[in-house]
Amino acid sequence: MAKAVKSGPKKIDISINGKAVTVTEDTYLLNAIMNAGFNVPTLCNHKDLAPEGACRLCLTEIEANGKRSLVTACNYPVREKIEVFTNTDRIKNHRKTLAEMYLGRWPNVEVIQNLAKICGATDSEKFKSELTDENPKACVLCSHCVRACNSFVVQNVLGFAGRGITRHMTMPFGETDPHCVGCTSCAYVCPTGAIQIADEMNNPADPELIRFHGMRINAMMSTHDKLQNRMREVGTANLVEVMDNYDILPVHNYKFGQHPDTAKIDSGVMKRKYFTQDIADGCWMGCSVSCAKAVDGFELKTGPYKGQRVVVDGPEYETAAGGSNMGCFDLDFIVEFNFYCDTYGIDTISYATTMAFVMEAYEAGIITSEHTGGKELKFGATGEVLECIHELARGEGFGVDVGQGIRRLKEKWSKELGADAKFLQDIGMEVKGLEFSEYVSKESPLQQAGYAMAIKGPQHDESLLVFVDAINNQAPTIEEKAEVLNYFPIFRTWFSLLGQCKLIWNDIVPPDNSKYPPNEAVKIPERVEDFQKFYEGMTGEPLDEEKMLRQSERVFNLQRVMNYYLGYGTREDDMPPLRAVGPATEEEYISRKERYDKQMKEEIGIDPDGKSTREKMDIIREYRYKRYNELVDAVYKKRGWDKNGIPTVERLQELGIDVPEVLAMLKGPEK
Amino acid sequence: MITVNNKEELEWCEGMTVQEVLDEMGYDYPLITVTVNNQLVQQEDYATYEVPDNAEVNVFHLVHGG
Repeated sequence: MAKAVKSGPKKIDISINGKAVTVTEDTYLLNAIMNAGFNVPTLCNHKDLAPEGACRLCLTEIEANGKRSLVTACNYPVREKIEVFTNTDRIKNHRKTLAEMYLGRWPNVEVIQNLAKICGATDSEKFKSELTDENPKACVLCSHCVRACNSFVVQNVLGFAGRGITRHMTMPFGETDPHCVGCTSCAYVCPTGAIQIADEMNNPADPELIRFHGMRINAMMSTHDKLQNRMREVGTANLVEVMDNYDILPVHNYKFGQHPDTAKIDSGVMKRKYFTQDIADGCWMGCSVSCAKAVDGFELKTGPYKGQRVVVDGPEYETAAGGSNMGCFDLDFIVEFNFYCDTYGIDTISYATTMAFVMEAYEAGIITSEHTGGKELKFGATGEVLECIHELARGEGFGVDVGQGIRRLKEKWSKELGADAKFLQDIGMEVKGLEFSEYVSKESPLQQAGYAMAIKGPQHDESLLVFVDAINNQAPTIEEKAEVLNYFPIFRTWFSLLGQCKLIWNDIVPPDNSKYPPNEAVKIPERVEDFQKFYEGMTGEPLDEEKMLRQSERVFNLQRVMNYYLGYGTREDDMPPLRAVGPATEEEYISRKERYDKQMKEEIGIDPDGKSTREKMDIIREYRYKRYNELVDAVYKKRGWDKNGIPTVERLQELGIDVPEVLAMLKGPEK
Repeated sequence: MITVNNKEELEWCEGMTVQEVLDEMGYDYPLITVTVNNQLVQQEDYATYEVPDNAEVNVFHLVHGG
């Protein structure tokens, strides 16, 4: 039944000191030995760092095909059936000699003394020489700091200089490197105390607490990002192919969620042909996620900088997905689009979504080339899109119309051109005047409500819940969905209150996160704890989930009251267009006919047989909006808002924000 | 027949592995947790862990980004 089945990692049977063990191919031998319950001494090994094989203390004997050899267990990947011996006389002698040498050089360093004890080395005089360093906090050249600088925060400020007996750890040219961001990763992993933190900036209440939790995140980025989202390698662009595969990548103004040409704009192509620096370009120094990317030496084909070679930031997922939304599966175009949006100060998401709407209107005959200044603005018209952006920047032509955004275009076209206002409302992907960001929400009521009910308009700052119900089938009831929609927007608002980046919260997930039940796992509890401890470490005040949410609720409710006062904060302002909720055209219905017919039969209880596509669309529309409104009712209730979505006085009192200025805003929109 | 995420049904066959279920469903997202009849399956075992007939398979996707 299965299509091209991927072959998973092989399992290999080995024996360790006579004990039979099965390991996954490429497991490092030291990990296999430890997991089997045996101990091998090491100095340079560290659980959060890639193995180095430098200290030689983990030397182990292996026998494969009748041949015995010595290997450093820490960086030896198991790839064949082997017998392993960790404690033969040969190894014991070797370890003892090595430990005596370490002890001779650094006799007073505690970690060396402990290792010597384990290896049976007691004579600190045997290898005493002019190199002997009596300092109890001497550097033992384990390279933890060098590796942490590279892998925790992608900086490479520390390195070794000199050879043989002059080898030492240093910054370039022996000077203080201005690129050092003071992240203290080096001090955190140093086993001897050779690296000391001289200055605690910003006077945190408990710097150690902040450091512990910060390093926990850094370490996990370093070890797990490459297995998870590859944020360091390709940034958020990794989502292009994921969303296409799950039918969520917007194509042709959100009509569809997939396209055969997505492979032309996915992160693989970006990595191979566009991203030039091949290093993680952190948007702020010292960030261990380092998801920002760049394209160097890109030659522009249009506009005022035509022919010049420039550096372009990104592209990120949303910008690339804006490309697919406009039907422009061309990365040369997407990079140039990105450059000019950045240069002119235009948001790529709002612009792409507006242009996708314009293109659909053009193809539907609502506007013609007469209105666009002769431009054929069909899906995929890359040159014409760029022309419109340049027009907007110059303040002339049709480009200025596009720059008004979807809400104003809908009004303008129905008023001036007599266009069908209902159709424009159905396909115009905006709520509260803001264009949708680039996810198809049709199959996810949580995503629909998370976006349309968001204070700022339909974007993912408050919630991104598309997998939770559409794929995972979590929160099947209205009540459970309302709980999710109450928690996430409030929880995520907390990051904005403190100026924290959310990517650190949910882009790197502890491998044991699966120990939590799904509704807890989705919150990523260990990461939430890290952020609570940052707060505590900075302010000295412990923070739990209840307090955290309370801080956000006060601001969230204040924002809603302000929205209301400004005319964007009632139920009507939380209503998504049809395109966000279900099929708005026959073409869309037919493309996913099986899905909609099945829902009609199984969930709505109506037999689709014999009905026209138009009739079936009306049934789906009615059902989905009814479901949406029930969900909105439940969320308002949970938030303590009235049926029109306005926070009640009692709720404001309960939150302690019932000050006269706020209550005055509750009197209604500004006239 | 097996059930995936309490929603989709897949025809079962002898020796069917977790990886085959994921391939059939098109689930290639990196942040997933898989359980078979409430038993957690580690990623390294996807290709060898056999799914029994009538199993309930859950493939839990964590959203990232934003």
